[in-house]
Amino acid sequence: MLPETYINEVEKRLRRAVHPREIIIDVMLEVQQFYGWFSDEALEQTARLLNMSPLEIEELATFYNYIYRQPVGKYVIHVCDSVICWMIGGYESFVEHIQEKLGIRMGQTTDDGMFTLLPVCCLGYCDLAPALMINRTIYGRLTAEKFDQIIEDLRREK
Amino acid sequence: MMPNLIIDNKKIRVAKGTRVIDAAESAGIYIPRFCYFAELGAVGACRVCAVKFIDGPVEGIRMSCMVEAEDGMVVATDDAEAVDFRRHVIEWMMMNHPHDCPVCDEGGHCLLQDLTVAGGHGIRRFAGKKRTYADQYLGPLISHEENRCIQCYRCSRFYQEYCGYTDLGVMGIAQRIYFGRYKDGVLENPFSGNLIDLCPTGVYTDKPSRYTGRRWDFERTTGVCTTCGLGCSIMVSARYRQVVRLEAAFSRAVNGAFICDRGRYGFSWVNSENRPRQGRVAAKAMAPQKAAAAAAGRLDSLAEQYGAGAIAVAGSGRSSLETLAAWMDLCRRRSWRGFFFDDLAAAPAAPAAVSGLSPENVVSMKAVESADMILAVGADPLGEAPMLALAMRQAWRAGAKVFAIDSRDLEWPFEFQQVVAEPHEIVDLLSGIEPENEIGGNAGKHAGKMAAIQDQIRHSRFPVILCGTAIVDQSTALAAAGLVKRLRKNKKDTRLFYTLPKANTFGGLLLDHRVQPPDELIHAMESGEIKALVAVESDLWQNCTDRDLLERALNGLEFLCAADCMATELVSRADIVIPVSSVYEAGGIYVNQEARAQWSAPAHAGGTPVRITGAGGHPPRVIGSAIPGGDMPGAWQAAWQIAGLAPPAGPGEMLEWMTKTYPVTAPVKTMAAQGVRIFPLQ
Repeated sequence: MLPETYINEVEKRLRRAVHPREIIIDVMLEVQQFYGWFSDEALEQTARLLNMSPLEIEELATFYNYIYRQPVGKYVIHVCDSVICWMIGGYESFVEHIQEKLGIRMGQTTDDGMFTLLPVCCLGYCDLAPALMINRTIYGRLTAEKFDQIIEDLRREK
Repeated sequence: MMPNLIIDNKKIRVAKGTRVIDAAESAGIYIPRFCYFAELGAVGACRVCAVKFIDGPVEGIRMSCMVEAEDGMVVATDDAEAVDFRRHVIEWMMMNHPHDCPVCDEGGHCLLQDLTVAGGHGIRRFAGKKRTYADQYLGPLISHEENRCIQCYRCSRFYQEYCGYTDLGVMGIAQRIYFGRYKDGVLENPFSGNLIDLCPTGVYTDKPSRYTGRRWDFERTTGVCTTCGLGCSIMVSARYRQVVRLEAAFSRAVNGAFICDRGRYGFSWVNSENRPRQGRVAAKAMAPQKAAAAAAGRLDSLAEQYGAGAIAVAGSGRSSLETLAAWMDLCRRRSWRGFFFDDLAAAPAAPAAVSGLSPENVVSMKAVESADMILAVGADPLGEAPMLALAMRQAWRAGAKVFAIDSRDLEWPFEFQQVVAEPHEIVDLLSGIEPENEIGGNAGKHAGKMAAIQDQIRHSRFPVILCGTAIVDQSTALAAAGLVKRLRKNKKDTRLFYTLPKANTFGGLLLDHRVQPPDELIHAMESGEIKALVAVESDLWQNCTDRDLLERALNGLEFLCAADCMATELVSRADIVIPVSSVYEAGGIYVNQEARAQWSAPAHAGGTPVRITGAGGHPPRVIGSAIPGGDMPGAWQAAWQIAGLAPPAGPGEMLEWMTKTYPVTAPVKTMAAQGVRIFPLQ
């Protein structure tokens, strides 16, 4: 359950909004932050907060890449899966390496709950291709070695 | 200015704003479409209505649903490039389609099937994997099979935009797009049955009629919905002597392309095993004609014993105009006590509604959509006449302001402002609305809100006053007519729309505005003045609040005869039962709440459903040359049988008789497909 203070905060923001629907995505992301992922409970809670039907929230939740309707790991790795990254030599073997390094395929989460791997259609960092994003941090011009280092660092950080 | 254009070498002139796809259709040229549906507007999503613009303001391949007709356009729907384009669109649309037409309930009346075959893609070329989906449970009426979807968005647009409900929509993105609900569950939209008609393929199909046959197996007839007073057009499908499915039939004036779920699914009684199908005298079954003859004998001897005034007829607005005319006339000729009309219990204000309507102030339901201000008094459209709520929503979507004066907790699928006032307050509130003056002090605590209504009326171009007849009395219905009259006098094109409970409430009052309310009947039965009652498609129990009184009144009768096609309480208590054929078997004329008389054609020749007579046998046969159970008279024919006379030979002769006996009905002789309006004679 969302804490009372949080609900009050959202309701205050809703009252300030010119059009309540303009802050739907913000509310969804914040509710997701609280639950760790956008569970049915989170979705239904969001619908109640915004006075919308669960279906209307689901329509948005299943459209956007950064709303997770299944549990995800501590770090969600969004690997850019779009045309400029594809054009960089070795993209395919790089993606293959990522999956081998983590021991999971796209859409899966490591057994220790640390990493989830998801493709994303263009991060907008084409100048840094191949690029990926981990919990809002962008990593670019990646190689297998650079990626391994990032993962080692994140593992140590935990 | 009306643009002139050329489509497929045909010169066409259409109204400004007409889309090319509709311009073509008006000239008999059908352009393929999946997403386009006139009521829902154009979105240009499916790409299958592509045509080639040869000359004029735009050139090249364009979507004909997205381009408005303009002067000088030259369009070819059969241009080789356009045909090739459309063919490819259909082919890639079919990539994920399961090709399950032989086992699909839409097979045989499927737009996707038709256009796929027309496009020459009966055989699939794409060898890749198809995406598949899990289906949902959407309730007992609609089956869901998402694999067949071609993403035309008709369902979500209808459901959310047109109807205003939010429990079905579109989820996902790209190859994962999914039309359905958040979770399994019964659809909340009371118009959701239209998804079946709208879906161009078999994603939504009719559940109750599964396994009853292909469309070409059915006897199909357009009829009039008899569920409420609106008279929506329906398409009736019948097979093996039962009604299997009702769909919306297009009516430009009444319901457009849709109907409500109550109308679509409210027919199971007609196939019921409990329905009276045999004549019955005491406990003894016999032919309907013999039961009628026995009833005639009883009535004659009772008339001799107590006088003709001891006999009464109870009827209702679920009867056809023919039936009402026949029994009212019989009542009159025999000098019986009178004709008592059930509908006056359900809608006490109905007589004022019939007299309040005139050729000047009347408005069709479809025209309500173009109102820019609606004031509903003592009316709950969603409950009383659902399609009216949908028409009001379309007006609201186009910018109309909607107001209600009502004491109830109303829930409508659009925004409206309500003055919460008791029914007896409404007359004063309506009388206080003066086109020129400010709202007077008689509005009391409602003065603020009433001033807003007055102001809105003043600034509107085409206001519609909507008035119920169930919770308000005659004075309110008259006050609504009075308001419309004042506004019209003031050069404001104001229209009046009453809701009525039954398919022929208007018809009954049109024939005779002096029909009596059932409570007078009940009191006369209780006091012993009435000894015999003939109940013709009447159900006194339905609207009676004092059941003990009705019980006593019926117990006081010496003779109860019921002529009905429904298994009502009165049928089960009757001394003599005359089974009569239903609207689906006999047809009939029904006059809706806007005075529009429409002919509902019979869907099949009658008789007991094969499902019942066959009793599971194989083949399910009954040896004999006649249709089993096919000897039921129409309810109007039963009136002549009771009188011991031969009824008019057929529907044509009946019409002749009716228009002569009741001159007010004369316009039905020239009735067109859209019906004809009949107002009371002055």
